[in-house]
Amino acid sequence: MTSNLLGIQIIGVLFALLMFYLTFLYLRRKEFTNKESIFWFGAWTIFLFLAIFPKGLDYFIKTWLTFGRRLDFFIIVGFMFLIGMLFHTYTIVRKNQQKIESVVRRIAIEKAKKGE
Amino acid sequence: MKTIIIIPCHNEEKNISKVVFDSLKYSPHVLVVDDGSTDKTPQNAKESGATILKHIINLGKGAAAKTGCDYAYEKGFDSVILIDGDGQHDPCEIPRFVEQLNQADIVFGYRKFSKNMPFVFRFGNQLINLVTKVLYGLNLKDTQNGYRAFKVNIYRKIRWKAQDYSMESEMIANVGRYKLNHKEVPIQTIYSDNYKGTTIIDGIKIVLNMFLWRLN
Repeated sequence: MTSNLLGIQIIGVLFALLMFYLTFLYLRRKEFTNKESIFWFGAWTIFLFLAIFPKGLDYFIKTWLTFGRRLDFFIIVGFMFLIGMLFHTYTIVRKNQQKIESVVRRIAIEKAKKGE
Repeated sequence: MKTIIIIPCHNEEKNISKVVFDSLKYSPHVLVVDDGSTDKTPQNAKESGATILKHIINLGKGAAAKTGCDYAYEKGFDSVILIDGDGQHDPCEIPRFVEQLNQADIVFGYRKFSKNMPFVFRFGNQLINLVTKVLYGLNLKDTQNGYRAFKVNIYRKIRWKAQDYSMESEMIANVGRYKLNHKEVPIQTIYSDNYKGTTIIDGIKIVLNMFLWRLN
């Protein structure tokens, strides 16, 4: 049990370090603003902390939220986060789709008006 | 009545010249909206005498038709005829649409369903017709037919958001919502092997969308 948990923790730490590196790359390429970078560095720091000290939230998880197991909490929160991100991504894609449509259609009409 | 014939199309280099050429017999204003074709569709259409609007990427039939109708609206045309660019609609029927347009805001073409039409298409069409009748109170014989004519003064009311084939149903939904005066004319449909129209998935999407539009 202990060795399994350790394995999961190692994977979690490696994942967090990889994400730190990717966030740093995005910042260096100026594809992330400072604000975005702070958000993601913060998120990976929390993730790293929880991977190293999973018991850190035990009081909160078991007493306040009354989850029987820590893993249940992480699975449920993980799913909620993923569904939230999916919805957020959907709205962005939809908005971009509408913007692209509007631009493409406007270019077509303007070009015709100029007689190109 | 100043009429414009709008032909939204995508990769129709084989058919577009004939469609444009035949359409020009009925109106000097023929507009081809090329929806991001990768073949010679725009060149062929231009050589045949049409005005061209070109989408730089493919958006879908609904978006292409909307570009054409926006153009007609901005240019001050009185009426619009929408026909497909794949040659399945015969432009010789345009005068009948124009004639009916004197008595209605919008005219829908309808196909006479024969046994030659695949069962799944007949069934899908009948189902969408039924949903249209129940939700919007319009008893149309062929809701999925793209051969239509309407007066430009109703365009703001029937203007659709759909980029794809569901534009035809959305237009009908708007006709029902505003209780616009409509007529139907029978048309001949020439089927080609290269069918690019509504698929089963499109049909399901259309039915679901019709329920959503009803909530608006």
